[in-house]
Amino acid sequence: MTRFVLRRILAAIPIGLIVTLGVFALVFAMPGDPLRELAGDKPIPAAVLAAKRAQFHLDDPFIVQYLLSMKDMFTGHFGTTFAGADIASQLRLRIPVTLKLATLSLALQWIAGLLFGLYAGFRRNGVVDRMLLLSTLVVLAVPGLVLYFAGQFLFGVQLKWLPVSGITEGYPLAYLLPATCIAITGFAGMARLTRTSIVDTANADFVKTARAKGLGEQRILWRHVLPNALLPVVTLMGIDFAGIFAGAVLAESIFNLPGLGQFLFQSIRFHEGGVVVLLSTLAFVMFIAINLVVDIVYGLIDPRVRNV
Amino acid sequence: MRRATGVLGVALGLALVLSSCGDGKSSGGAGSGAKSEVIAIAADPLDYINPLNENGSPGIQVAQAVFAPLVATDPNTGKTVNVMAESVTPDKTSQTWTIKLKSGNTFQNGQALTAKDYVDSWNLTAQGSTAWKNNGFFSKVEGYDAMNPPTPDGATPKPTSVKTLSGLKQIDDLTFSVKLKVPFSQFGLTLQYLGLAPLPEEVRKNPDAYKRKPIGNGAFKLDGAWNPGDDIKLVKWDGYKGPNAPEADAITFRFIPNADTAYNEFLAGNVDFVDVPPTKIKTFKTDAPDGWVTATSSGANYLTMPAWDPRYKNPKLRHAFSMAIDRKAFADLVGLATPSNGLVSPDMDGYRPDACKYCTFDPTAAKQLLAEAGGFSGAVNINYNTTSATGQIFAEAIGNMLRQNLGLTVKYTGKQGSEITQLADTRKLDGLRFSGWGHDYPSIEDYLTPMFKSNGDANFSGYNNPELDKVLAQGDAEPNPEKAIKLYQQAEDIALEDMPLIPLYAKQNAYLHSAKIMPRVSKYTGVQALYSTFK
Repeated sequence: MTRFVLRRILAAIPIGLIVTLGVFALVFAMPGDPLRELAGDKPIPAAVLAAKRAQFHLDDPFIVQYLLSMKDMFTGHFGTTFAGADIASQLRLRIPVTLKLATLSLALQWIAGLLFGLYAGFRRNGVVDRMLLLSTLVVLAVPGLVLYFAGQFLFGVQLKWLPVSGITEGYPLAYLLPATCIAITGFAGMARLTRTSIVDTANADFVKTARAKGLGEQRILWRHVLPNALLPVVTLMGIDFAGIFAGAVLAESIFNLPGLGQFLFQSIRFHEGGVVVLLSTLAFVMFIAINLVVDIVYGLIDPRVRNV
Repeated sequence: MRRATGVLGVALGLALVLSSCGDGKSSGGAGSGAKSEVIAIAADPLDYINPLNENGSPGIQVAQAVFAPLVATDPNTGKTVNVMAESVTPDKTSQTWTIKLKSGNTFQNGQALTAKDYVDSWNLTAQGSTAWKNNGFFSKVEGYDAMNPPTPDGATPKPTSVKTLSGLKQIDDLTFSVKLKVPFSQFGLTLQYLGLAPLPEEVRKNPDAYKRKPIGNGAFKLDGAWNPGDDIKLVKWDGYKGPNAPEADAITFRFIPNADTAYNEFLAGNVDFVDVPPTKIKTFKTDAPDGWVTATSSGANYLTMPAWDPRYKNPKLRHAFSMAIDRKAFADLVGLATPSNGLVSPDMDGYRPDACKYCTFDPTAAKQLLAEAGGFSGAVNINYNTTSATGQIFAEAIGNMLRQNLGLTVKYTGKQGSEITQLADTRKLDGLRFSGWGHDYPSIEDYLTPMFKSNGDANFSGYNNPELDKVLAQGDAEPNPEKAIKLYQQAEDIALEDMPLIPLYAKQNAYLHSAKIMPRVSKYTGVQALYSTFK
């Protein structure tokens, strides 16, 4: 197992370099001058432009800028954004916000997705199954933006059950509405996959064999159906967790949550290559770690894939 | 699929019904205490409070509460009144200005406010290496070029040992003088710009250490620590002795980057004041029937001609473009806006409602002018800002008018705003673009000099007319305000005849306020939540 983990971590290093270089190149290639973007319509004196360019190494060649930002990242000298925000304190503020949002939304999404998926899978063509089909169709058809604003208006403005935006109400109250909105958009995929997987597995030959052998239904369910049916669901959970960062961009922007997604959005807008790379690296490390966990869990559920 | 569409329709219908059920009245009461208010600002949170390094609305709004200017505009009369200044006196030529401060004013740390604070704060800002946004303001002061040797864009500036402006002189504890490079009769008005506020000595020594704990001289100070992500909470500072103190005892600035979310926070009764975003222009009066105000914004919007493209050089062609535009229809499309008939904002002294001869919608005359100009070769390209929700819509509206009324071929190019600015600055932009300008001090000169003087800060079109430069210089040298305005109006006439910018519209801003406050509304100073009266 240790060799397996080490091998995965070593393999991540070159991928990480390619990812960070690619992301930095994309931000670098964005048209427009980041300092002028910051100033809006107002003119910036040449002397100020020159001083800012020197401060942020914007006149250096691409590769020098990339290496300098990697150096800053690995030495922990994050510095400030072009606008003057201290990046380290921004990270201290924002990482907990995104983690709280991510864990709450995933918990809601997984619980609802698994419960509905399992129930619908075992009670095929029943009322719950049909309702699930219908509700997931609706969820998949409604754009996230519409769902988020509709939720905000209904539960925040009209009913006043939950805060409209911001984190002043604290955890979990301030996070409940955005987390529920994210969970609703992610719930459809999880529920449908669980249902289909349960149906497929319940009809598999080995289940029929188990039943023919005279095994009890409870044993068939817990010992044979669930472990096999949940394999693809675990994969989806891993992808969900790793992708929550991307999902947070929209939710954090609309619900004014000062998390990493909002920071990433601002940084891309202002062409902050260094910050975007820093946040992308964080996301990448999280992705690698979660993939590793998923692989380990896979092994625990299914002995066939152990130590592959 | 049909079933899904049906359900979606029901869901959206429900949302619409629910939204129309809103009574729109905010209960207000967002802040605690009798005279406290929460002001929503639809922008990214501030990273620091330093007026000398701020030239955008969000930062200046907060700075306005914490810092006090030398002079200000009286909201009732539009005249300039002294705030920190006892007197502002020009010499005969308006080139050297003597500023005497009122005695007894202090900073919020108890340190006396002196002339040295102004001189040293301005020198610090004028130094290019400090990289503060209001550096350019001091370019009019003698000695600026020695501190900031002219450097081509993209080149590294040469190091300089000059650390002070030769034109700034401290005369005594409360008096200092400013010698300008050339006479400038409007300089007294510029002193109300908050970007010229003083910083106390301890802040000047280490500005970074005070980014989040400003020491101002204004009516409010920070209420406790202000950490990243926090709202900015201010309480009344008893040491403020200037005129025109706000009525509020406490103010909270809440930064909400998404303007629609900020609007929803108002509807939920969580904030007392909010700007109406463009998406709500059609509905805000019904959303908050008892709590909205509007005012003409201090700004004007234009269609900008590229002076570097010979195809657009003939003024007759520009007049043709201008007369092919139905400004009334365009202003209706913008929403809360009025058609422009001149180059300066309608709320300025010296604004003339009939200044522009070529701003009347007359397709026949426009066609005639285009023919006299020899027509136009190729397609008219209209650049629009892709980060603006309305950029493409406005571009297509103007494009359709040029196409229908002049028979021109039109194409559109969407780019980020900063890329458009950069291409225009380097004279490489192909075609037309939109631009807008709002003044930093209330003088029509602050429209004409930046946008039309050959070396103006915001000369969007690359326009250059020595005759206009000469008339502007005469206005700058004219000490009599009425005569100066006449000269500036002459400069406006020249610019309108050459028409490097086609006037389009003046926008009105709309705001919502809770039942407990009434924001100050003035023709001269606009709508200000900071100066709200409490019910």
